Amino acid sequence: MSKKAGPLFYVCLAVFIFFVMFPFLWILLSSVKPLSELFGDHAFQWFTSHPTFESYVSVFVNYPFLRYLWNSTVVATITTVYTVFVAAFAAYAIARLEFKGKAVILGLVLAVSMFPQIATISPIYMFVKKFGLTNSYLGLIIPYTTFALPLSIWLLVTFFRKIPFDLEEAAKMDGATPMQTYFKVILPLAVPGVFTTSILVFIAAWNEFLFALTINTAEKYKTVPVGIAMFQGQYTIPWGELSAATVIVTVPLVIMVLLFQRRIVSGLTSGSVKE
Amino acid sequence: MRNGKRAEQILGYSLVAPALLLILAVAIWPVIQSFYYSLFDYRLNDPTKSSIHLNYSLDLEGYLQNYPFLKSSLTQEMAQANPDAKKALVDVEEKLKKMDQTIRSDQEVAKRYDQVDEALNNFESPSDELKMVEIDEEAARQFQNNVREVIKTLSQMKEEGNLKQADKIVGLAQGLKGVVVEPNFIGWQHYKDSLGDTRTWKALWNTASFTIISVAIELVLGLGIALLINKTFFGRGLVRAAILVPWAIPTAVSALMWKFLYDGQNGIVAKYFEDIGIVHRMGDLLTTEVGAMFAVIFADVWKTTPYMALLLLAGLQTIPSSLYEAASIDGATKWQQFTKITLPLLKSSILVALLFRTLDAFRVFDLIYVLTGGGPANSTETISILAYKMMFSQTNFGEGSALAVMVFICVALISMIYIKLLGADLLSDGAKK
Repeated sequence: MSKKAGPLFYVCLAVFIFFVMFPFLWILLSSVKPLSELFGDHAFQWFTSHPTFESYVSVFVNYPFLRYLWNSTVVATITTVYTVFVAAFAAYAIARLEFKGKAVILGLVLAVSMFPQIATISPIYMFVKKFGLTNSYLGLIIPYTTFALPLSIWLLVTFFRKIPFDLEEAAKMDGATPMQTYFKVILPLAVPGVFTTSILVFIAAWNEFLFALTINTAEKYKTVPVGIAMFQGQYTIPWGELSAATVIVTVPLVIMVLLFQRRIVSGLTSGSVKE
Repeated sequence: MRNGKRAEQILGYSLVAPALLLILAVAIWPVIQSFYYSLFDYRLNDPTKSSIHLNYSLDLEGYLQNYPFLKSSLTQEMAQANPDAKKALVDVEEKLKKMDQTIRSDQEVAKRYDQVDEALNNFESPSDELKMVEIDEEAARQFQNNVREVIKTLSQMKEEGNLKQADKIVGLAQGLKGVVVEPNFIGWQHYKDSLGDTRTWKALWNTASFTIISVAIELVLGLGIALLINKTFFGRGLVRAAILVPWAIPTAVSALMWKFLYDGQNGIVAKYFEDIGIVHRMGDLLTTEVGAMFAVIFADVWKTTPYMALLLLAGLQTIPSSLYEAASIDGATKWQQFTKITLPLLKSSILVALLFRTLDAFRVFDLIYVLTGGGPANSTETISILAYKMMFSQTNFGEGSALAVMVFICVALISMIYIKLLGADLLSDGAKK
């Protein structure tokens, strides 16, 4: 960790960051170009001399983009809140209580989190169709449980395990029941872990594509990824609007990542590293 | 104390139960169901195959839309027919009547018969549950034979010119043919068909090459980046955030972004690739088979290398720096340190990262669906894309499910191989340390 960073290092770093950010940069620059400059001679010019926000206006005026944003927010929020709530109890039990079959249960959770979505889609599709849940929020929240719940349990278990056991012993000594210990001792200490888990589950639900594509096909219920992907017409692709829409969904993510990068990294890497 | 243990056990199970039940209902049950579907000729666009039936059944709606009208038409004909024809017609009517009686002999069926009849009289369409009644195989065969004979007799009479409303009557009789719904259980047929189809093998090959190439590149680049940023430097947090952005944006959105950058006329990346000579012409990127596969892999590498780097970085940070100090005192070169210390100690981190990435890459869907749609000429069609197209474009749920089950089996095999390599590391109880 004490290795010194030389000038060559910063050059390498700059090149790497440039490669990672280049597509975004280009999309950002394209989103403020007038439509005529997206094609032909001007297509490869970095900067436009006539910056305009017409693509941004068009995204909201000509497409139900606000609606997509709202749908995604509703579906991802409800999915996150309910799965993290259910998972918190299960994860507490697996991480802190003694009972037979714990390892098997955790193994099952991990296995399910690796299920390919395509293997569950036909029965789930038939199910939501039968109960009239296509084109509804519930029609997505139910299938999203398939990946959100195992992910939450897996992450929360690793966070719960990091809380010192002494505290629990002390609470037990003082005569607290396991549930009291959970609510008064463990949960307050696990808040950062629960928060991290929520961020990751939210991102996963926000980005989900396959279920959203097959189940919510009506304009009114499309989520952002599907909505944007379906901007493309049969023969033409509205690149101006697409660039603007991409910028609009990316900016909040960039802010979120800047704010919570430490947490996100700890969540992504927990469970994969033996400490 | 013993009581306390028991209480803890019970509490443990009851806390886990809701989550387990949900997982069972929304993840495990559907996979089993998918497998079950794959054994049937199950097509949503074909009314006789739009649900799963193991047994023969009778569509009362179809029956009652034909039989009563056929009967009354026959009665009308009989009034005007010559004696020979009349005899034949009486025969036909007898047969049909007997058939109708057989159907109604079962009380339950008779009840539903009346309900469906009433619904039809009120111009309502009866529900599937109501109109489909199960019958045994023998009854079904007999029904079909009778209908066939009736059609034969009537067609013959039509040719002889003995029927006044020939077209209508034969048409109604024909209508009775589709009333018996045969079981659509076909066993392993879909698997046999799929495995005998070059398109499936091509899709498997595409999936495998996409997975192996992209994951291999991601591992090398990710390791390089992890080694690069595994030190203290100015602006670390910012770099980490920059790395996370490609990971965080929806795959579908990033795929569209790349589609813009790869565009054959206006795409900046396509132009640069042409300038450095990676492709001949800009247009080649998305219109040739090799170009499209390259484009898809490049976009995937861009999106997921950062994730790989983060996982490996976390692993690197657990290696104590004292090991390196000791090694350099002993005169080990940087390369020796890398191969003798870093790689062996990083093994489990690498395997875990590879496991997650391989599985993710193997089930790739969004990226390819949006970027190339599996084209050109199916050159980027992966097995998930193929299964999706089977199910939702061709509405062939049976065959699509069979392909989906194959994806599942492949994923299970890949995980097993990795878990074998990893040993019990993955699941071991971190608390016992």
